Order: sequence, then C-alpha cells, then structure tokens
Amino acid sequence: MKAIRWENESITNWGICDDCGKCAEVCYAGAREMIGSIVSVSQLMVEIKRDIPFFDQSGGGVTFTGGEPMFQREFLWESLLACKEQGIHTIVDTSGYTSWEGFEQIISCVDIFLYDLKLMDETRHKQYTSVSNLMILDNLKKLSRARASIIVRIPLIPGVNDDEENIIQSASFLSTLPHLLGVELMPYHEIGLAKYQGLGMNYRFNQLKPISLQHIQEVEQIIYNYHLPILKDSPGRII
Amino acid sequence: MSMTKRVEKLRLQSLEADEVLSSERAELLTEYYQQEDGLVSAPVKRALAFKYLLEHKKISILDGELIVGEKGPSIKNAPTFPELCCHSLDDLDVLNQREKTSFKVESQTRDHYEKIIIPFWKGKSMRELIFKEMSEEWKAAYQAGIFTEFMEQRAPGHTVLDDKIYRKGMLDFQSEIEQQLSKLDYYNDSQVYAKQEELRAMYIAAGALIQFAQRYAERAVELSSEETDDTRKNELIKISEICSRVPAYAPKNFWEALQYYWFVHLGVTIELNTWDAFSPGRLDQHLSPFYQNDISNGELTYHSAEELLQCFWIKFNNQPAPPKVGVTAEESGTYTDFAQINLGGVKPDGTDGVNEVTYLLLDVIEEMRLLQPSTSIQVSKKNPDRFIKRATKIIKTGFGQPSVFNADLIGQELIRMGKSIVDARCGGSSGCVEVGAFGKENYNLTGYFNMPKVLEITLHNGIDPRTGNRLGLATGNPSEFQSIEQVFGAFERQVKYFVDIKVKGNNIIERLYAQYLPCPFLSLLVDDCINKGMDYHNGGARYNTTYIQGVGLGTMADALSSIKYHVYENTTLSLSGFIEILDTNYAGQDQMRQKLLNRTPKYGNDDDFADDVMTRVFEIYFNAIDGRRNTKGGEYHINLLPTTVHVYFGSVTGATPDGRLAWAPLSEGVSPVQGADHKGPTAVLRSVAKMDHVRTGGTLLNQKFTPQILERDEGLDKLVQLIRTYFRLDGHHIQFNVVDAETLRLAQLHPEQYRSLIVRVAGYSDYFCDLSKTLQDEIINRTEHEIF
Repeated sequence: MKAIRWENESITNWGICDDCGKCAEVCYAGAREMIGSIVSVSQLMVEIKRDIPFFDQSGGGVTFTGGEPMFQREFLWESLLACKEQGIHTIVDTSGYTSWEGFEQIISCVDIFLYDLKLMDETRHKQYTSVSNLMILDNLKKLSRARASIIVRIPLIPGVNDDEENIIQSASFLSTLPHLLGVELMPYHEIGLAKYQGLGMNYRFNQLKPISLQHIQEVEQIIYNYHLPILKDSPGRII
Repeated sequence: MSMTKRVEKLRLQSLEADEVLSSERAELLTEYYQQEDGLVSAPVKRALAFKYLLEHKKISILDGELIVGEKGPSIKNAPTFPELCCHSLDDLDVLNQREKTSFKVESQTRDHYEKIIIPFWKGKSMRELIFKEMSEEWKAAYQAGIFTEFMEQRAPGHTVLDDKIYRKGMLDFQSEIEQQLSKLDYYNDSQVYAKQEELRAMYIAAGALIQFAQRYAERAVELSSEETDDTRKNELIKISEICSRVPAYAPKNFWEALQYYWFVHLGVTIELNTWDAFSPGRLDQHLSPFYQNDISNGELTYHSAEELLQCFWIKFNNQPAPPKVGVTAEESGTYTDFAQINLGGVKPDGTDGVNEVTYLLLDVIEEMRLLQPSTSIQVSKKNPDRFIKRATKIIKTGFGQPSVFNADLIGQELIRMGKSIVDARCGGSSGCVEVGAFGKENYNLTGYFNMPKVLEITLHNGIDPRTGNRLGLATGNPSEFQSIEQVFGAFERQVKYFVDIKVKGNNIIERLYAQYLPCPFLSLLVDDCINKGMDYHNGGARYNTTYIQGVGLGTMADALSSIKYHVYENTTLSLSGFIEILDTNYAGQDQMRQKLLNRTPKYGNDDDFADDVMTRVFEIYFNAIDGRRNTKGGEYHINLLPTTVHVYFGSVTGATPDGRLAWAPLSEGVSPVQGADHKGPTAVLRSVAKMDHVRTGGTLLNQKFTPQILERDEGLDKLVQLIRTYFRLDGHHIQFNVVDAETLRLAQLHPEQYRSLIVRVAGYSDYFCDLSKTLQDEIINRTEHEIF
C-alpha cells in the first residue's frame, strides 16, 4: 500500500509514510518538500562561514534553535566549538529540558542562552508539556550561578500560562537568580499553523486568539515590579 | 519638523495639479525659427533661440511662493521640444487619453500643433534626422528590441552641477568668456571660428538667464504693489531683490543660493530636453557655508531654512518630465524627472561630508514625501552610522527614498574612468544610479541593451525567432555546440556584433547633436567648455563618457546556468531539444519548467555555479563596451540598470532557459530574477557582490522588505549594518522598497514572483509566501495600517 494515492485529489496517509522523500524529489513545483536534512558539522560551517562579512560588520552570529538543539548534544557542541574557533558569536535557544551535563559541556562556547520558561506550577507544566519542570528550573538556576548570559523567554499563551498567578510565580523565581540579562515576552501567534498543516500534524491550539496588547502590558507590569528588565528585541532574531 | 501653512498649500497644489502638455515653448521656438534669417552659426542660433524663449515665455509667481520660476507657463505644465522630436496629433491624443499618467492636451494646444508646429518641424527634427542617418542593421536591431536609443527623444545632457554657481554669477561667466575670446588664436588654430561662435553663444545664453530673472524681479514688484497683505508684500519685494541679484551675481545667502540654482535648472531644462538627471548634486555641501553664515548673522533660522528648502523641493515636483512621442508615449508611464540630490559622501579633501544641512535636508525629504526631487545618501566609511540610520527612518516609511550609494566605491569607479581624485570626490550618483564627475563631465546614457534577446538570437544562429528575421551573425547551429564554452563563445560574438552596431549609431548621433543642436547654456556650467571654447555636445567637458546600460543580467545568469546544468553537466536534455521547448513557450512542459525554476542553480543564492555564470556574462558585456572611443575624446563604459525597460525588453523576448515564459519581464538591474533568490538577503548581497562593481558606472540592486522588519530601532540598526557590509563588499547601490499592502496581495496571487519576500511577524521573520493565508491576511492588514 502506498502512502499517497489519487482520488480526484492527492490523499496522503501519513500513518504509513516512511519519509523516503521520493514524492518531494519529483515534485519540481515544490508542493511537497522534505523538511529538515542531515548535515555534518563541516557542511554546516560552510553555510555559516558565508555570512562572516555580515557578522564582522554587525557583531551578529549564529543562533542554534529548534526543536530542541540540546537533543543533539554532540552535534551542538562540535558546531559551537567550530563557531568559536572562527570567532563567531553564538546563541542557544533551549527549553531547558535536558540534563545539566549538557549545559555544563557547552557553556564555555555559548555567548547567550535564550531560555524558555513556560509554567511554574509543576502539575500544570505536566498537563501541557507532559513533563515535569523541575529539571528545567534547576538547570536555569545552575546556569545563572555559573554566570552564563541568559535571556529568559516566556511564551504568553492565552489561558495556559498568562494568568497573574503564573506570571507572579515566574517573576518571583527569576528575581532570585543571581544573573540574568533580562526577560522577553513572546505573545502567542499563529505562525506555526501553516507549518503544522504542512507537516500533516494536528494543530491543537487553533481555538486560541492572539493576546491583547493591554494584557501584555499588565504582564510586563508584574515583571517590572520584580525589577526584572524586559527586553523588546533580543539578539538572535533576524531583522 | 514642521510644515507651515504656506508649504502645506503649495505642496498640495503641486500634488493635485493636472499634468498639462504645454505648447508654449514649441510655439515660441517655431516663431523664432520662422523669423531667423539663416546667417548665424549653429551655436549662436541656439543661444538666440534660448534668449527668445526666456524673453517671451510667461512669468509665473504663485501665491505664497518663496522660490520662483516655472519651466512652462504654470505649474505641472510640460514644455515640448519639436526641434528634437515633434509630437504628432496621434501622440497628443494618446497622451491626453492614456490611462496611466496622462497629460492634458487643451484643444488650443492641439490646434497649434496641427496648424503651426507640426507643419513647420516636419522633416526638421533631430529624431527624423537620426532615423535617416541610422543603418539598416541599426534599425532592425532597434525595432527588434535589442537596444533602445535615448537620443531619439531627448538631447544628451545627463549631467549634474558642482559648486561653481555658488561662487560665480552669470556676469563672472561672461567675463571669463570675454577673456577666452580675447585669447583666441586666429593665426594658428584651425578651430578658431568654431570656438569664437561657441563662446559668443555662451555669452548670449548667460545674458539671457540674467534677463529672465530680471523679468521675475519686475513681476514680483508688480505683484507687491497689488498685494494687500503686508507680510506677503515684503516677501515679494525680497523676491524681487533676489531675482535682480541672482543669477547675475554670485549668491550671498542661503535664499539666493537656492533661487540661483533654480534659475539655472530652468535654463538647462528649457534649452533642451535633457530628460533627466540634471540636479544640484551635492546640495548639503553647497549650501552648508551659506547656512552657517546666515545662521550666525541671524538672517536665517533652522525653521526658515527648512521652509525655503521645502519651497525649493516643491519647485522640482512642479515639473513633470517631458512627454514622450511615438510608441513610448503609450508605453512609458512616468511623469518623473530624475533629479537626484546627493547627501553625505566626502568633501573635496576626502574628509566626512556629512554636515548640519545634511540632516536638515533629510528632515525636508521626510516631510515633503515628494517623488521629485529624488534623493540619495552617499555612504562613505567616513560617515557616521547615525547618518545612515537617520535615512533608514525615511526609507521605512516606504516611498523608495532615499536610495543608498557607496560613496567610496563611486570614487574608485570615477578614478578608474580617468578622473582626478578631487573631481571624483566631488562626483556622485545621478538619474538612477549613474556616476559622474559633477560639473565637469558629459556622461551620456545612450540606450539599454537587451542581453537575453541577444542570447535568444544566439540560440537561433542569428535569427530573431519572433519575426524570423536574420539580425545577428551566423554563430553556428546550437545543436553542434559541444560545451557551454561554445555557447558563451557564440553569445560573446553576438554581443560584440550588436554593440558595434549600437556604437556606430551613437558615434553618428553624437556628431549630429554637436553639429545641429549645440547647448551653449549648459556648456557654460560644465568645466572646461569655456576654457576650450567647445560645446558640451562637442567634447567641451573635461570628461566625456558614453554609457550603454546592460539589462537582464539576472535572467542571463539563470538562463546560461540552466543550459550549463541540464545540457552539459547532467545531460538530461540536448540543447536543440531545449530550444524546441523554448520555441513552444514551454507548452505542455509544465513539469520541465518547474524543474528549471526550482531545481536549477540560480543567481542570488551565493551559489557559485550560477554566480560564476553571472560574472562571465558581466565580463562579456564589459569587454564588448568598456574603453571604446566615443567622438568627444572620451570613452564608453557600462552600467547595469533598467529603469522600467526590463518590462519592454521582456515583451519582445521569447521564453528563456531559466523557465521564464515568453514576453514576461526580464530581471531588473543586477537584482536576481524575481523570486529566484530564496536564501535571504545576505545571500543576495553576497551573490551580487561577486561582480566587479568598480568597473561599472553604476549598478542597481532592489531589495524588498515589509515595514514590520523595520518597525523597531534594532531593525534599523541591522539595516545600517547590512548596508555597511554590502558596501564593504564593494556593492554600488542598494534600494530598499518597503512594500505596501497591495504588493502583498499580489504576492498572494503570484507567490512564484515573490518568493524572496521576507516579512517579520512577531519576533522572527519568515518568507511571506510560506505563511498561511490567514496570517498573510493579517500581515496585509497590519501593513495597511503601519505604512502611511
């Protein structure tokens, strides 16, 4: 049985798709596209090094993001090392859900961590992410104590973590950290929708409406009350 | 920053007035030529005609104006130039009725044309003379759309002014002329009579402008006596005083400097239809001493200077470009002249040229938001970042200005083309992107050259498949080409062949202008015409450059990359099979076409495979043109810019091997093919920088952004760094088009043409075409509200 069949239109049974990529290969118009590819560190560095003139001029560099870059620890480590050999600024964007050893390994080669903080309450964290947040909070504490440069990013998801209680807990926790560059709020948006659809994945957030400006300001106020700097345009973003 | 009531009113008046085709100049000129008895030399005749025009044309001072003078009888009245090209009645009707950018033609104007102007000029215009003198090969290539010819509808006059008018009055020019006349060697110089006549003509022309200004002075006095409002009465008296001083004498203050320039601008654009480019050039530098002086003696404040500049700006906008004739009247939908005011750069001594007036002018540009004058920043490594950043704040408002140039590179380009270092530093960009030594160079754009059309002819062994006519050389049956080298070789021979035809035509046309239509007034203003006693058209300028503008570089790169990749490397296709597919315009070959579009190395992605092809094409074009001699003692050079001709050239060019369908537009400037770049702006810049911009006289690169990307200060900083990096890589020019909602809607309809369009959504950027329809709609909505 084939994963793609034709009944007046193309129908894909993702259940039996084995990611062979043949459909994308013959689809010159690009209606089907393989997302992701396997590259070696040296291949990656060829691409990165192309932009050195821009990095030199602007002080910019590379942001490793995902997914979760920490899930490819060795590759990440070697890539970071290679970047540092070239004097390229590095940022790692992480959910923090990984063992401390991972951070310990790369910390010397990372200029800035973008560290996601979703929910303080462990039960609720489990409910939405299916994992506990203990390791995440613990890693953040350790990173901060190790004097890493950290920007904490709070995705503001309506009805999930944008309640006063969670924001107060988050801010209160963050204010105890010895070292933090600042906090960045990431209001929920629907950019991911097309990507989910393209990947044939179920988009479970589609009932959510974008967060209001007023509510963002309320959240900001709480964070300000804890004397935490709020960053509006953190590094690592494309212009 | 502010706009006074006066400026608001004048600006609105300028924006709202209808463009009118005025027969005033044509009528006066015809009158003069009818009376003229024939026993005068060509330059003197032209000078007397110029004088006649300025003596008789209507004087227009509008209520509230501080800078006075119009090219036509009133604002937005475009004069015509029947001695260059005479509009037919059909032309007038087309101009009156065409949908886009129409020119109103009053029935009286039409009458004058029918009864007086057309009958008199029939068979006498330069355009007719040019077509009469051109060879059959030239005409065939011209008609096939291989090249265009600027001079068939406008005179050479692509030049920009330096600082001399701020130091010398017309009376000073006259005494220089008298001095030269007294030094003429009637015993040994075989050219002595020509020089004498040219110098006499310049003398007459200088006097004509003084008299013209005097008429304005008198009119201002008349108006002041009728004026009841005391403030305006005083202004009119002041205007009258200024017009009696300048241009006769060198200006002594800021206001006089602006009014002087404006009279000169009118003089140049009334003398001949130079169409574009004439501008004050490095205005911030020219005005700075006046500004500083007036501020320190209390004659001027920041705000009064700003108001004067705003009034000056509006004067430019009051002048529509001369309406074209023939086919171009129908096709060319542009009103705009190409006066490009330069800001920044370096001073003659090489130090940072940014000054207080630079920032003042940027304020004016932002506030005025007018198409004309166009403006550019000349970015030198010596300029501060804040200067560029100030400009990016205007760029982000989305009216395409100011454009951004690499001043240090322009200096190198000019030096390579033989200018002294100081003359190079006083130069800059003009028109679209063309460089010149301001006040010292006749640099003449003579026509666009359609490279993809030449490739098409090469692939058909010299035949134009659109008509079946043999236009080019028989460079061999493509089915016998064994390697991409043979394709390049054949293309190179065809390029050379057509460039030869074009150059031969140019060299005749240059002589026709030198002989029949000298321009003594413009000659006054350009070194060293007075010293040499030679006309601007005849090699009087210190430097004389003839440019031919290459069009379709991106299309060429992708087309040849495609042949190289599919025919000679992967051998999935024979060249003759490929050509058959092109001949059917990819009929029934959708899959093939998609492969060419999406699975073939493309220029603009920092992919050496395609970029090497681009540089190869660049070299072929460069070698065919650069360094050839023109008839003015100067040389030919290239630039790569299209204005809007890539649309016309596309419309005569069949399907190309890059997957482009027949008659679709070509790529523009040195930009990649629309939608072919998909690795982001830094990859585009890296690709484009692989070409040796130093050896051009200007290249044009367009980049599109949505306003959200430049929303925050940090986005602007990054844009500044992007510019700096491109210029470190020796890029010549970059223009940022901040797109509007309409463009985004088009991108929804034709994603294939807008694939490189990047949009910032919330915290990160993505390709617009990759977003969901809902999100695209939301961004369109936001764009509509953010841009003003």
